[in-house]
Amino acid sequence: MESVDFNENGEQAPAGRVQREPGRIVLPGEMVADRPTDMEGCFVAAGRTYVGVISLLREGKVIPLKGHYLPTPGDYVVGIVTEERFSGYNIDLHSAYEGTFSTRDVREEFKVGEVISAKILDVNEVNEATLGEPRKFSGGQLLEVDFVKVPRIIGRGGSMLEMIRSYTGTDLFIGKNGRIYMRGGNTALATLAILKIDREAHVQGLTDRLKEFLEVESKRA
Amino acid sequence: MAGNNNNPNKPKLRDGGRRISGRGDDELRPMSIEVGPMVRPEGSAIVNWGRNKVLAAVYGPREVFPKHLTDPHKALINARYIMAPFSGQEEHGRAGPNRRSIEVSKVIKHVFENNVLVHSFPKTTVDLMLEVLQSDGGTRVSAINAASVALVDAGIPIRDIVSAVSVGKADGKMVVDLDKDEDNWGESDMPLAFSVRTGEMLLFQMDGMLTIEELSTGIDLGFEAAKKVRAIQTDALVRKYAIPGESAQ
Repeated sequence: MESVDFNENGEQAPAGRVQREPGRIVLPGEMVADRPTDMEGCFVAAGRTYVGVISLLREGKVIPLKGHYLPTPGDYVVGIVTEERFSGYNIDLHSAYEGTFSTRDVREEFKVGEVISAKILDVNEVNEATLGEPRKFSGGQLLEVDFVKVPRIIGRGGSMLEMIRSYTGTDLFIGKNGRIYMRGGNTALATLAILKIDREAHVQGLTDRLKEFLEVESKRA
Repeated sequence: MAGNNNNPNKPKLRDGGRRISGRGDDELRPMSIEVGPMVRPEGSAIVNWGRNKVLAAVYGPREVFPKHLTDPHKALINARYIMAPFSGQEEHGRAGPNRRSIEVSKVIKHVFENNVLVHSFPKTTVDLMLEVLQSDGGTRVSAINAASVALVDAGIPIRDIVSAVSVGKADGKMVVDLDKDEDNWGESDMPLAFSVRTGEMLLFQMDGMLTIEELSTGIDLGFEAAKKVRAIQTDALVRKYAIPGESAQ
């Protein structure tokens, strides 16, 4: 099974880390810029930018620590079929908003409860997504994490994901909505590794610690 | 029942120039907040303020039910303030909403409608479940403080952390954070909620009589007290979300 990586947000260098300023937790209502800017989890009031959700402010960048996934065109997501209608299917996207397949565009048939991956083609004014490129998953396991941790699970250039894959032999498909589909290999270890990243997403030196963890745990198996 | 001064049962509220609890007029009861005591809701918090104990759980943003209430322009806020039957010194009767708790739920809903960035989640609802486990005067402000922290824990975008406090007149003096006796037997009480960052007032209710001067002193006292509440809320959140190797604040 081929996998798609989403690495455009993967921050922090994996090796040869440089000494840098420690980050700082910012709480809703704190000003992060004295001019209007468009940053994730932020809002603009009276020409200034404030954080709306609890975030880590590091080197001028705001990294949300919590969040709710909003369907965004171009994202690859993992969904669950929730309803079959005359004109198509409703898909749960681990979000407050649903996605839909139209039978006009998608010829494949689905059953309620099936796990699929899809690309978000379009999002309307109330955040409902039109999906395309469906692919059914069968067997395997599903894991849900907060979608703000997805860039860390993938790592810079997919490094973190590649590390989990090589130590566990598990095929992983990571949806931008925070759903992770796993199949084959040592899925138990892969789950533990992902939950470790979820817990320690922003603690420095995670790559090294995860490598050590996988090294020790994979020998035990 | 404010202003009930002729009742022979009325306890003394001040003694030797101090409040009967020994607190200063602008002093809060000891307050502690635990962030995230529950795992099922998106966010949760428990506030212990004096003898008050209020649990807040935040669910959502999620689909509105019943569906016809959906607003395609913004998210709805739904607050449910409930006093447990065993919460007070007196009987609270059966569990579930009553006349008083429906009113409190309504005012709390309006506080957060002006605080949550409702336009970023159209067509959804954010449910605030507020359970008073133990009460001793000032439960609605405790509930607002708990809900505010739980909203941050839930990662729902808000304009500011809301800090609420009650202010009132007890035996002729304006005091903050009324306990049950001051609330029941004092001349007046007013719950206030502020956005400390902007200085905006998000809740203002009043029971009993105050002069305009007393009202204005009361609001000033309330705002100063809200800053202290805000510091406790901030501290609780930073402790929960602290990341090793990064500075706290």
